[in-house]
Amino acid sequence: MEAGDLELVAFTLRIAALSTLLVVGPGIACALLLARWRGPGRGVIETLLSLPLVLPPTAVGLLLLWMLGRHSPLGRALVARGLDVVFTWKAVLLATTVMSFPLFVRSARTAFEEVDPRLVGIARTLGCGPVSAFFRVTLPLAWRGVLAGAVLAFSRALGEFGATIMVAGNIPGRTRTLALAIFSESQQGHDERAMRLVAITVALAFAALWTTDWLTHRRARTTEA
Amino acid sequence: MIHIDVEAPLARFLLKVDLVLDERATAIMGPSGAGKTSLLEAVAGLRPRTRGRIVVDGEVLLDSAAGVRLAPEARRIGWVPQDAGLFPHLSAHDNVRFGASGDRRRVDAAIEALEIASLLDRRPAALSGGEKQRVALARALATGPRLLLLDEPLAGLDVALRERVLPWLQRIRDEWDVKLLYVTHHLGEAIALAGDLVLLRDGAVEARGAPIALAARPGASRASASGLENLRRGRVAAHDPAGGITTVELAGGIAVAIPLAPELPVGTAATLAVRAEDLLVAYAEVPGLSARNQYPARVRCVLPGDADAVVEFEVGGDTAPWLARLTLSAVDALGLEPGRRAWLAVKSHSIRVV
Repeated sequence: MEAGDLELVAFTLRIAALSTLLVVGPGIACALLLARWRGPGRGVIETLLSLPLVLPPTAVGLLLLWMLGRHSPLGRALVARGLDVVFTWKAVLLATTVMSFPLFVRSARTAFEEVDPRLVGIARTLGCGPVSAFFRVTLPLAWRGVLAGAVLAFSRALGEFGATIMVAGNIPGRTRTLALAIFSESQQGHDERAMRLVAITVALAFAALWTTDWLTHRRARTTEA
Repeated sequence: MIHIDVEAPLARFLLKVDLVLDERATAIMGPSGAGKTSLLEAVAGLRPRTRGRIVVDGEVLLDSAAGVRLAPEARRIGWVPQDAGLFPHLSAHDNVRFGASGDRRRVDAAIEALEIASLLDRRPAALSGGEKQRVALARALATGPRLLLLDEPLAGLDVALRERVLPWLQRIRDEWDVKLLYVTHHLGEAIALAGDLVLLRDGAVEARGAPIALAARPGASRASASGLENLRRGRVAAHDPAGGITTVELAGGIAVAIPLAPELPVGTAATLAVRAEDLLVAYAEVPGLSARNQYPARVRCVLPGDADAVVEFEVGGDTAPWLARLTLSAVDALGLEPGRRAWLAVKSHSIRVV
């Protein structure tokens, strides 16, 4: 590994970790809503949430670029506050967060749906408020799916390419992640470095998956003992 | 006193119930889908679309007209569902302690009352059906509820286990300061536990009264260790030593042949007991039957359970109904429904003098 590689890995890991952190809170809220709420408008929310899964990432990236650009009210408001997002690391974070959000929500939602709502009801009759019932019953019973979702989101963020390049560009030292670097290096005929970066991403993916596996199995054993 | 006057929309109909509960234990019976579980959920505060008024011991839990709607956690109502509903990720001990908020005395008392001290370290998955029910009961009791909602707590248990868990419910009823609202499919359980029985159908109260009065008449039947029994008072009419039969005449002129009982002089009073399981039902008189007793009857009502049904019959001039326990398949095959004519048969040896 060269010095440049290390920086690249550190930046990519930081972005992936940060976007996973950003995804978890709102993602859990969204997943709970979809798992429990049966009211009108549910289908619309569901479709909107799944959009980043089915759209080409470049299309999502372009939409984000348009939303944050100087021609949109949001973009103007951000610039007026001195917040420049486009073509900075914040844009990378935004792109990876948006792209990994639906993956996390899907996994967490399935996990929440598998928690018997009556158990939550029982927790309520035993004196728990809704928040306490969530942390004492729903989450402990669904944590595997939530963790799996977080790993999925993390892995997706590690490998995000299309949306990132649209909204953040591919600026070495500023917005270039591992995935973007692999593309650039191979475009420029630096096959050896490209392959080395591929090897690093493979190692990172393995590490993430094995960590989850180890965590879930260890917990499973202590739970069932 | 508990006053429940609620309306809640269900999938097929409106649950609309107005009940005042005075007894320590009230049983709720009715066919599947009658709204029994929904009623419990409405009382517990777990059905947000419930309207009306619920008052328990003077405290208003729900008064939708006045905008009062206590959250489930503020109602002090315990709930034990059919499958116990233990938290699978917690040990039995942590389950029992779950809602007790540090009140160790209550937790220990509940553990002692339900004799589950030896089970505390186990996970729910390692408990038998009856043990789960006891842990769930202890968990609910440990929070000090003023009303305990029991949703068929014995339904998943076999007969032997039922008979082991039932006494614990009776102890809770008698020794703890808590009222019970108890959904069951078993008339025997209702009679053993509750002083009051509510029959629900399609979300409305179809009948209401003391379990025996409702299912039968006072003195006409009872729940015993051997199940549900028909009890009849009569007078010894004759002995037939050659045939090995004593005839007892009941009110309404019904003659019953029992095994020879020469120790009962003719003219003395005798009370006969016939288990509901021992009554045979046919849709016509059966010729050439060994059973010495056959009577024309008419179905008064069918109380379906989860595996069997108790059918109430009118027999001749007897004002008290006769209860027969039949499988659902027999009820179906004979087309038993209110008003239907049928014949009841019972062997002499199935009749005991008590």
